[in-house]
This record gives sequence, C-alpha cells and structure tokens, in this order.
Amino acid sequence: MKKKLLSILLCTSMIASLAVGCGSNSKEEVSEGTDKSEKTKLTFWCHENEPWIKSYNVMAEKFEKEHPEYDVEVQSYPFKVYTEKIQTALTSKGEECPDIIAVWGGMAPAYIESDALAAVPADFEKELREDYMDPTLGVYQKEGKIYGVPMEYNLEYGGMIVNKKLFEESKLEYPTTWEELRKVSQEVSVSNGDVVEMEGFEMMDSDSLICNYLAMILQQGGQYIEDNGDINFATAEGVKALEEILSMVDNGEVDLENLANGEYCFNDVYQDKGYMASVGTWGIGEGETYELKYGEDYEYVPVPQYGEKMAFASETGWGLMVPANGANVDAAWEFIEFFSQPENLVEHNIACNQLPPRKSMLTNETYLNAMSDIAFILDILPDGQWMGPYNTSAMRQIFDQMFLDLCDAKDRDVEGALKAASEQISSECKMSYSMD
Amino acid sequence: MKNNRFVALVMIPSVLYMFLFVVFPVVYGLGISFFNYNPANTHNTFLGIENYIRMFHDDTFWLALKNTIFFGIVALVLNLIITLFLAEIISVIPSKRLKTLFRTILFIPCIAPVVGTSMIWKHGIVATDGMLNAFLKLFGISPHNWYLTQGPLLIIIIVYTLWADLGYNVVLFSAGVENVPKEFEEAAAIDGAGPLQRFLYIKLPLMGRTFAFVAVMTMADYFQMFTQFNIFAANGGRNNSAMVLTNYIYRTSFSNFDMGYASALSAGLFVVVFAVAMIQNRLMRIEWGYE
Repeated sequence: MKKKLLSILLCTSMIASLAVGCGSNSKEEVSEGTDKSEKTKLTFWCHENEPWIKSYNVMAEKFEKEHPEYDVEVQSYPFKVYTEKIQTALTSKGEECPDIIAVWGGMAPAYIESDALAAVPADFEKELREDYMDPTLGVYQKEGKIYGVPMEYNLEYGGMIVNKKLFEESKLEYPTTWEELRKVSQEVSVSNGDVVEMEGFEMMDSDSLICNYLAMILQQGGQYIEDNGDINFATAEGVKALEEILSMVDNGEVDLENLANGEYCFNDVYQDKGYMASVGTWGIGEGETYELKYGEDYEYVPVPQYGEKMAFASETGWGLMVPANGANVDAAWEFIEFFSQPENLVEHNIACNQLPPRKSMLTNETYLNAMSDIAFILDILPDGQWMGPYNTSAMRQIFDQMFLDLCDAKDRDVEGALKAASEQISSECKMSYSMD
Repeated sequence: MKNNRFVALVMIPSVLYMFLFVVFPVVYGLGISFFNYNPANTHNTFLGIENYIRMFHDDTFWLALKNTIFFGIVALVLNLIITLFLAEIISVIPSKRLKTLFRTILFIPCIAPVVGTSMIWKHGIVATDGMLNAFLKLFGISPHNWYLTQGPLLIIIIVYTLWADLGYNVVLFSAGVENVPKEFEEAAAIDGAGPLQRFLYIKLPLMGRTFAFVAVMTMADYFQMFTQFNIFAANGGRNNSAMVLTNYIYRTSFSNFDMGYASALSAGLFVVVFAVAMIQNRLMRIEWGYE
C-alpha cells in the first residue's frame, strides 16, 4: 500500500514538474494585460546592442506619449541567434509573432523572399521612394513593392581610422590624394616574412576589400553590373583596380591576416599595428573598447579618392519590417512612420552613430552639429549606388577566396580570375526574386 | 507486472522529451531536405531528391566530408592514446592529492567555454603576433600567417581540440584503470610481464567497456565539432582546407539561407556519424566480465 502511494506521489510530482516546465506564464500575461487592458501592445524585436536598444526604448516612449493607446515593448536577442529567432517567429501567429522587427539588410532577402512580411502601405511607400537614397532601399524591394523601411545608410567606404599618435611621431600629414596615400603607406609599413608588423593603408578585410574595390571601379567610370543584372569584374577598370590592390600586398604594405581570419583591419590601427584602415563610421566607436580617445589617439578622415569622380557601391543597412502574421499590422506601420520622421530618425542615427538614409536629412543641422567628425561622409552619400540584387555574404566569400589565390599565384591571370569569380557570383549569389 | 507498469509510467516524460526534441527534429529535418525550404514561406517548393543530387556534385561537400573524417579520426586516435597514457601515469602516482591535482588541472579546459578558449587561442596563440610565432622566433624562424595555411591550420585546430577536451576522457579512463582488479596485474608481474606488457595485454583489454564508451562518445562528438571551426576558420580557411560538415551546414543555412540544402547536408552528416558509430560498435563488441 505504502509503495503504491509512493508511486502515485512520485508520478504526480513528475507530471506536475513537467507541466510547470513546459507550461507558459499565461497567468502573468493575463494580469499584465488587465493592467493595460485598453492599450494595444506592440512588440519590437531587435538584436543586443546597448546604445541601439536604448535608442529604441527612447523612441518607444516618445511614441507612447503621442499615442497613449499603444504600449511598445522592446525585446532584444543576441545577434547569433537573432536570424533563427525571426525565422521561427515569422511562422507563428498573433501574440507569438512580433509586430516589428529590426533587420540587417544582409539578412533581409531570406525573409523578403517568403510571403511572411507585410508590404509598406502605399502612401508611405511613395514617401520612401521620393526621399530615401537608392542603396538604402535596394534590398527591401520585391516585385515592385517595398518590405522594409531603412533606418540608416550603410556605408563601408569613404572614411578611414587613422592612428594620430603614429602620424605625429613620424611627422607625417594625413594623405589627401590616392598617390599620397600609397606613398605614406609604403613609407611606414614594416614587414617580416609574410607578416607585416606595421601596416600602412589597410583594406584587407571582408567588408573593406570588396567595398573599396567596387568604388575603385566606379570611380574610373566603370561598372560591374551588366544590363542583364550579371556581375562582370573582368573589365579594364576592374582589372586595373585589382592590380592596384594586389600591389599593396606585393609591396608589403599590408598582410592578409584579417582577410583570412575574419577580423577587421581597424583593430590593428587601434593597437598601434597600423597607420590607416578603411571602415564605415561604425568603426569609430570601437576605439573606446581599447580605451582610446577620439581626437587624441585616433581620428576618422576621408579615404582619398582613387578615380576622377566620386562613386561607390553600398549594401542596404538596418531597417524595420512588419510580419504579416503580427496581431497589429496597421499599428506597427504607424509606429514605423513615426520612427522615420526626420526629427525622430535623426535622434536614432546620432545615438547609434549611423548615417541618415533620407535625402532631406543630409543637411539636417541637428545631425551635422552632433556628428561633425563624420560630416564629410554626408557629402558623398548621393554618389552611391546599391551593390546589387545579390547575397553579398556569399559574394564576399567568392571574391575573397579569388583574391587570396591571386596573392599567392606566381603567374597571375587577373582578368581570368575576375571572370571566373564574376561567373560564379552571377550563378550562385543572385537573389531568387525580381526587384521590379 | 506492476513494476513494469510503474517503469513504463515514469519513462513517459523521457520518451516524450526524446521524441519531441530528438526524433521529431531529425525526421522533420529529413523531410525539409526534399524542399526548397524557407520556414517563413506558407508554400515551399518540393524538389524531390534534387538537393541530394546537388550534394553529390558539390566539391565543397566532399572536401568538408574529407576534412571531417580526417579531423575525427586523427583527433580521436590522438585523444585516446594521450588520455590513456595520462590516466595510466596518474594511476601510478602514490599520493591521492597529487592524483586529484593532476586530474583537476587537466579537467579545467573542459569546463571553460569553447568559444572563450578558442578566442584566446585565436588571438593569443595563433595570431601573427601570438605565442606560436614568438616561440618559433626563438629558433630563428620568421613569423608566419597561420590562417593562410592549409594543412597547418587544421592541425592547429586538432591541437586546440585535444587541449580543450583531454581532461574529460582522462577522468573516465582513470576510473577504468583503477577498476581493473589488481590481482590480474600482480599475477602477470609474477609471470615476468613488464609495465608496458601489463598495460597492453592485461589492463587495456580489461578496460574494454570503458574504452568502447569513450571511443564511441568522443567520435560522435568530434564528427559534430563546430565552435572552434567557426572561430578559427569561419569561412572554412584557405581554399576550404579547414571546412568541416558542421560549419558548411551552418554557412549554408544561416549565411546563404539555403535551408533545404543545409538539411540535405545534415542528413549526409547523420549518415556518416551513424555509419562510423555502427562500425566502431561492431569492432569493439565486449562480451565478457571480470567475474
């Protein structure tokens, strides 16, 4: 009898613990819901990044003040699991599905190619097409509709971190022309075996290499996207630009460590192992992680132009999307429209060290006053083109591998290598849907 | 009979757990490998065995498979030899405290997160200004960019894996070594067997169960190693020389967003691990006891 009682108790406790473990906290939600019963709750998903989350919360509070009928909850997740998390959530319905998601342009095609997103409402779409710069909208388009609202202009070209102390010690000025850049780079670099112990001008990482290369093609008046949408790097301008970059490696101005191990070049500059490194404006804030002071230890200055006219290609950056399965699609768009108003967006761009995506914000005084160190970048933004309808992560892998092989090759066939890489990118990396 | 019912009842949660989180994902994964799959789509195109045909024609898959097998076998064999040796050495140390000290020292890397220790190795040891090049400099060898190498990078990852993973098997083998009845060894010693002979012909065969368990578990673990590959060679290293199946699956699904094909690759990995485990199981079949 005792054994039987014990068995029943044991089983009951196991089933109870299973139920507790697998159950949801629905009660908490109910009580929370009753407190705010008149409000519509909007869930905003983003990845973990302290200043960004802070800015999203500020925007949520501002929105709630103007629209007391809404309650916006910002939920953040580590970037490593964010993609998977969104993919799972998009298949859910109602409260399980977030109302708004912040998405990196590189991740966006995976969601856009599905039918799980709500298209931007017509009147808002008109505003986007009129006032947002082309590269910012690029990837968010599918079959004539727009599925995301850009929060920033993503740019990996145009500026470089310079090690102010090293320049002062060498009594050198920051280069202002391409020829000066190469001269300084050759003068200051020190190599030992196949390792460059002091680097000159660095652009040998996965982000900078392709962005600088494409800019160098475009600045010569060339183009790498053909009329049919295929990639073709094997043009006279493409070959010349790559030969110029290869000469930096041959001369021992830079090594290939960062390109090979997936790190960023600007870290070398912050660690006194390099003089200059090409990077987007986001790299400026990274100096603080090395306890360096902007203006004293390092600065952000323009990368001298390679060709005659300013031109570059850019990927689409961070934007906001609305899942079609969300419980409050209209309210979500209302929040995004509020977020995108220049007077609100400018605060977010300043807080997150981002470049503004709207043409009307290029002369925004609040932005220019707060971000005077990178104001020069705003002048070149209208000269950018969208990188193209390609999975740019896969495109980089192919390009980087081709570049590393060329660096090692004894009898280089630059044109042949570019042709092969172009064909591979065109066949393997093109997006599965049409933009128009 | 009553007892059986009770056992069946208490097993329900575990069986449910296994079904929900092990069997179902495996079957579901196998299912989506036949589709051009995007989880956010309401309709995914059925491709039949197209993803599998693509896999058989994919050079990167074969290279990743070759690297996975190479890594799995070399790391496993080295792990077994080193851990057995260390366990035997530790077992002959007379002081219990010293034994515990050595086991603890060897076990510390096992409890440290692989991400953290991989990053330390990547930036502190293998980097161009790291300890490895500093050590080579002592012998007048000029520094090397190890991330641009093909064979050596994979060897470095194997060495890291051994460092990070030895302690666990040392503890298991130590238990195995100490469980072998002393009488057998003493009898062999009286018959004139030396220490090496006693270890090879007495202890090792009598540790068969432990050995089989350690070998199968370590092998299954090594064939699915991912973190260190993703940190040392996120893109597979030079010409994919350090690309393994797990990293290729991750890249295909979360970088190229090709979930259907990634599932086909996962099925490939499953078949490989399953086949190796079966072969190993058969080779190490133990049908005896100490009695």
